[in-house]
Amino acid sequence: MLSSPQTKSQPKPFARNHLLRDASLEALYDAMRADSSVHLFGEGAHVKVHYDAPKIKADFSDRVHTMPISEDGSTNFCVGASLLGVKPVMDVISSDFLYRAFDSIANTAAKLNFVLGPDRTPSTIVIRAEFLTGGPTTGQRPESLFCHIPGLRVVIPSTPRDAYELMLGALEHPGVTLYFEDREIDDKGYFDKPDYNITHIGDLGFGKASYRRLGQRGSATIVTYGVMRQRVEAIVNPWGKGDVYRQPNLDCGVVDLRSIYPIDWDLIRYALNRSGNLLIVEPDITYGGVGAEIAAHFAEERPGIHIKRLGGKRVVTPASPGLHYLALPTDEEIIAAIRQLTDWS
Amino acid sequence: MVLVRYLEDRLQELCLQGFGADLHFSRGQEAISAGVISVLRPTDYVVAHHRTIAHAVAKGVPLWPLVAEVLGKSTGMNGGMAGEMHMSHLPSRFMFSFQLVGTCVPVAAGIAWAVKNHLKTDDIVVVFHGDAATANGQWHEGLNIAAVQNLPLLLVCENNRLAGNVTSEYYLPVPFVTNRAAAYGIPAAYVDGNDPLAVVDAAREAILRVRTDSRPYLLECETTRLGRHKQGQGDLRTKDELALLEEHDPVRLIQLSHHRRLELHDLVEESIQAALAAPDPVMPEAS
Repeated sequence: MLSSPQTKSQPKPFARNHLLRDASLEALYDAMRADSSVHLFGEGAHVKVHYDAPKIKADFSDRVHTMPISEDGSTNFCVGASLLGVKPVMDVISSDFLYRAFDSIANTAAKLNFVLGPDRTPSTIVIRAEFLTGGPTTGQRPESLFCHIPGLRVVIPSTPRDAYELMLGALEHPGVTLYFEDREIDDKGYFDKPDYNITHIGDLGFGKASYRRLGQRGSATIVTYGVMRQRVEAIVNPWGKGDVYRQPNLDCGVVDLRSIYPIDWDLIRYALNRSGNLLIVEPDITYGGVGAEIAAHFAEERPGIHIKRLGGKRVVTPASPGLHYLALPTDEEIIAAIRQLTDWS
Repeated sequence: MVLVRYLEDRLQELCLQGFGADLHFSRGQEAISAGVISVLRPTDYVVAHHRTIAHAVAKGVPLWPLVAEVLGKSTGMNGGMAGEMHMSHLPSRFMFSFQLVGTCVPVAAGIAWAVKNHLKTDDIVVVFHGDAATANGQWHEGLNIAAVQNLPLLLVCENNRLAGNVTSEYYLPVPFVTNRAAAYGIPAAYVDGNDPLAVVDAAREAILRVRTDSRPYLLECETTRLGRHKQGQGDLRTKDELALLEEHDPVRLIQLSHHRRLELHDLVEESIQAALAAPDPVMPEAS
């Protein structure tokens, strides 16, 4: 019999991880060292590097620029700077502030490389934001909105290693990238060693998904990203907290999307060949989210495939920590979905 | 100015025949772009709003790729992907233009920042905008950033007292745009934008100040839009009103020989025919 997750220690809803942030700033430092055109812009940017990235402050403080609280104007400003070869990293800070900058991102930055015409080198711009916790306008997840806009790439690392690679990749590949850090990921996760310091050997897969876990043949392939990647793995890995439910059918495959536009269809397809069942677990609101796109894609490509979607509830982000945790798919919901998909009785 | 007038008149015919989109022309406002840009260095940068053709011609963008771009052809300077309202030509330092009102100002501030701090030259950036753009938050955020960061940015306001068909009492609560610049500590001047020589004098002074002080400056040019806001849209002004306004037309002041006028006509016609004969662009890949 399964123990109720409620009797186990609840994961902290407000994890406030540092390893992910450190990794992306480490990548930014390495990018600044390699390329003098990389600059950091943002509200209080010089204060941010003072606390979070002393290396950047020590070596490149002349390339860290504090902007007024003008998210929209500052992002347009970065578009202008990029026209003369600057590679701006625009730190919008909270993902909620992206709504403030939506016009400059969707109308200016996204269109930029299209209207420059085919003969011009595309501009490189990284717009960085983080998913916070705290309430209605401090904890929203607007990522899927940006996937709908041609001209934008959207990446969401869930491990420090991926954070390092994706930040570096976003600066190495011409184009406009939205780079999200998920503050809800717990640094004390079982499999998140800060191993990004191993030598960067170039393109390790920018825009590619990560096949985190093979899983048992015939079980389910769980496609996920962000904080849900960590919570899913904690369930399906027999050495994780999932040992309380230890059952053979929990041994599912896990694909961490990392990039939600473009999506690595090939890898998901490969993983599905092994399992035959698709479970999508996303931290974003399910309605109109990335999971809908993946589900529709495989429903068309493989008629008859078993598909299930789990995602955030369509509620205003709760201020209460306990409610915020429950607004995302819970362990019980994930296990029930696996059970349903695999006819595990 | 005469070349712009001939070009826009010819393009207007094409619009009526269905070969052009709803283009935005500068009829009556040409003295501002021509006057200001005539006293810039070739290495200075220009950013325009959505009424771009006059500014691009004044900045020295080659006519053939410009016309092809306006007509959305693959031989256009942006491969036909930008059209009249988003076109740019980096070799001429015609950097950017944008349809959404106000956006050009913070983008131009970013270019000015990169000129000063990344390229580290003493070139300046001139951004043209309308008076109605000053009701938009982007204009204010752009001015604020430019003022705080001491950027070499010359703001040229083409004040035609119109937003489409809407008159300025609906969006401008102060008599002059220069009043608004004062709020950001940005020095400003006001000039008759229909007088080409007055524009040249005021622009020379403004450019000198921007270049030597490396600070923003606003030049407000009062002007008259003689045509409709864009092709395909009506104009609320009566024919009699428009006929009276024609007296302000700066192009009437220009004296050219008959031979020179024919030459300009031929230049326009060649570029139009070349553009019309060019293929459309191919559909880009999904991105």
